Amino acid sequence: MSPQIPDQVSSSDKLVPFRWPSAWTDPALLRLFAGSPINCLLFESLSAAKPVVDAARAAGLTVLEWSSLGAAPLAEVKWNSTAGQIAITGLAWPRIKLSAGRSAEVDAGPTGAPWIDSNSWVAQLAAVRAPRRPVWLGFETAKDDPVPGAADYTIAIADSAAAGARWMIRLDDGLSKALAAGDARAQKTWRSMLAALAFFEKHRGWTGWEPWGSVGILSSFAGKDEFLGQETLNLAARRNLLYRVIDRSVPASHKLDGLRAVLYVDNDSPSPALKTKLESFARAGGMLIVPHALAAEFSGEKPIECPVAGYDLRSFGKGSLATAARDWDDPFFLAADVRSLVGRRYDPFTLFNATSLWEHFSVAPDGRSGLLQLVGFTSRPNESVSLASARAWRSAALYTLASGAPVVLDPVKVQGRAEFHLPDFSYYAALEFRS
Amino acid sequence: MTNEHTPCGRMTRRGLLANAGLAALGAALLPRAGRAWNTPASSVALARCQSYDTGLVPTLAKMFDQIGGLGRLVKGKTVAIKINLTGDPDGRVGYLPIGLTTWTNPTLIAATIHLMGNAGARRIRLLESPWKSVEPVQEYMAAAGWDSAIFTSAAANVEFENTNFLGQGTKYIRFPVPHGGHLFPAFDLNHSYEDCDVFVSIAKMKEHQTAGITLSMKNCFGITPCTIYGDGAPEDEPGLVPLGGRFPIHSGSRQPPKSSLPEIDPNSPRDGGYRVPRCVSDLVAARPIHLAIIDGIESQTGQETVGPMAKHVTPHILVAGINPVCVDAVGAAVMGFDPMADRGKAPFEFCDSTLRLAEELGVGTRDLKRIEVIGARIADLVFDFRKAGYPIPREVPDHDRPAPPAKKG
Repeated sequence: MSPQIPDQVSSSDKLVPFRWPSAWTDPALLRLFAGSPINCLLFESLSAAKPVVDAARAAGLTVLEWSSLGAAPLAEVKWNSTAGQIAITGLAWPRIKLSAGRSAEVDAGPTGAPWIDSNSWVAQLAAVRAPRRPVWLGFETAKDDPVPGAADYTIAIADSAAAGARWMIRLDDGLSKALAAGDARAQKTWRSMLAALAFFEKHRGWTGWEPWGSVGILSSFAGKDEFLGQETLNLAARRNLLYRVIDRSVPASHKLDGLRAVLYVDNDSPSPALKTKLESFARAGGMLIVPHALAAEFSGEKPIECPVAGYDLRSFGKGSLATAARDWDDPFFLAADVRSLVGRRYDPFTLFNATSLWEHFSVAPDGRSGLLQLVGFTSRPNESVSLASARAWRSAALYTLASGAPVVLDPVKVQGRAEFHLPDFSYYAALEFRS
Repeated sequence: MTNEHTPCGRMTRRGLLANAGLAALGAALLPRAGRAWNTPASSVALARCQSYDTGLVPTLAKMFDQIGGLGRLVKGKTVAIKINLTGDPDGRVGYLPIGLTTWTNPTLIAATIHLMGNAGARRIRLLESPWKSVEPVQEYMAAAGWDSAIFTSAAANVEFENTNFLGQGTKYIRFPVPHGGHLFPAFDLNHSYEDCDVFVSIAKMKEHQTAGITLSMKNCFGITPCTIYGDGAPEDEPGLVPLGGRFPIHSGSRQPPKSSLPEIDPNSPRDGGYRVPRCVSDLVAARPIHLAIIDGIESQTGQETVGPMAKHVTPHILVAGINPVCVDAVGAAVMGFDPMADRGKAPFEFCDSTLRLAEELGVGTRDLKRIEVIGARIADLVFDFRKAGYPIPREVPDHDRPAPPAKKG
């Protein structure tokens, strides 16, 4: 796979897409977009909605027909297409899953942390497969899902934007009808969506920052490796394990510098060049984690006491080699194993009261600034969130959806360590650190 | 390494169990409530301690001296310490580090390790069963912002083990409950609870939604591996990893896998207020505690984990002794509760008293008239947890409501 960057990318990068509801036939509804960040309307059929399309063009909006996007489920995306953007459909609505338990508690996985559906891993994978091309994510409420409210829409926007992508906004039928009818509550929801979009478009420059991870997750993420590879990405994020995606089929992504560990997920042997690169990485001090199937291909040196059952851990030059004692079949446990094998000592932050927060960390091109984005998946305010930083930052500016301007946060000394204590916030917060 | 010696060299574990068998014969002739009169009583050290700073080590050292000295307890021995790391590691009451509210404070643990090392302990193992996790204990601590080096640097040969599953062992060890037990006849536990000469419980002084209070005995509820006693345990054999919490013990919703002994009476009440105190008293009878320490320097009221009812408090209290029932009785008293209270009276409004149930199993007395308190006086140190907390409704939590009848097997 050799990614190409079509000419129209630069213009597509400025497009903020919205899926025009087919029931909206009145061009007057374009008033909803006046002064809004949304500047690109997606129609199922341009000819079927001609009056609206003409009016939209006249209003300066970009108009695209759905079929022109090349939108497809992740496994079918044409990464080399000439479309201006990569449009991925069939994704999950980002949310905490509700259980049907006795007290309507949220679903919890075996860690006790709530089960969160997020598409951030899809955006990260797409960014590797199609570098510098805008990534548009497609999801909508399923038939049996709860009807989304203003909070759900804001979280959906934030989940995509924090990962550098954009949601092809699609309203649920109820909101679409209510908005068309001028319902006040629906308009309030709409305004909150536009405010969130405006925030992320204002800070679109952050998408140029390099995602930071202590672990590289290396797979083809396709074919027989699709499930384990992709779900490991998803579940590693759920453990707040910051990672970089390394796609076997994208040589440009085979950069291992800065990583502390590499997880080689697939049972297929790496190419000779990649194998050499992986061995060099371990010999220089990194940890290489390989599947049971490749035990014969990678030979470690002296045994090391392994903190995780089910692995043979050996020294490998200045680094180490962890070989699984049996085949991996459950990405949940694989992600947990990697979390324990690598440990938390390389984490840039330790977060507190952050069980339902999804963490993104990226570094500015000059390496002197860091950006920690937190996406909250509950409708309740995130209270008393705090974090300890491994690096001594000179300052931290807090951005939230509710505040117009950043707020400077001073570090607080807690038991000898510098911590940042965040005021309560809803849905999303970003901390821009400067050294 | 097996548990051949009790700390003072008076009795082997095997001997203890044999004696327990003889005691059971005699005890069988008495109704349970009638056994309390001759239960062991031992001295309890009580101290005011302002903080976890420089005054902590001398205060703790003095307390250990007051109860007979650490040397005779730990010299040349392998010591296993059950600490309390309950709930999510990243949880905090407000912005406060979890060791100031919910978990046993790390400085107190390190101070204890340091003193045990000085007293000649050969090996010290920190044990905990992190919530639904096979993570190494050190990693669980790291998630709370703790650096486990403060423990490993406090004495030689400090180790850790997650006891929520088989861990580093090759098989689970069966611990029969002397006198037959209230709820379970025996427990299958991680090897670490057998492979030690001295077993120590360091607890946090807290209220508990199910058991009223959680002190040195309730801390041992967490020694049960969730691979056997948890929600996700398989039907036949222990699971490889813990997939759930200990709600089956709370609610009686299911029995352990067939490889472990089921509860004594599957028709007994299914509510947590009945079951949890019985399980805890069974556990401390089956796996005797040789040293109980309660961290009440800083803590929380209202509930045992991080949550909306939890409020940070600073009682400035330490309690220590070699009999956990006596220690917990003094602990309850300094929290403003009557250790002789039982169901219906604070702190046991909706549960039975673990103190009374452990007393019935012959573990120790809860009668303050029989307990020598050394150091400070209870009356001088009472910190009323109920008055200090939020005005919250006392009610049975969801997970303690009666569940459907237990399945067989």
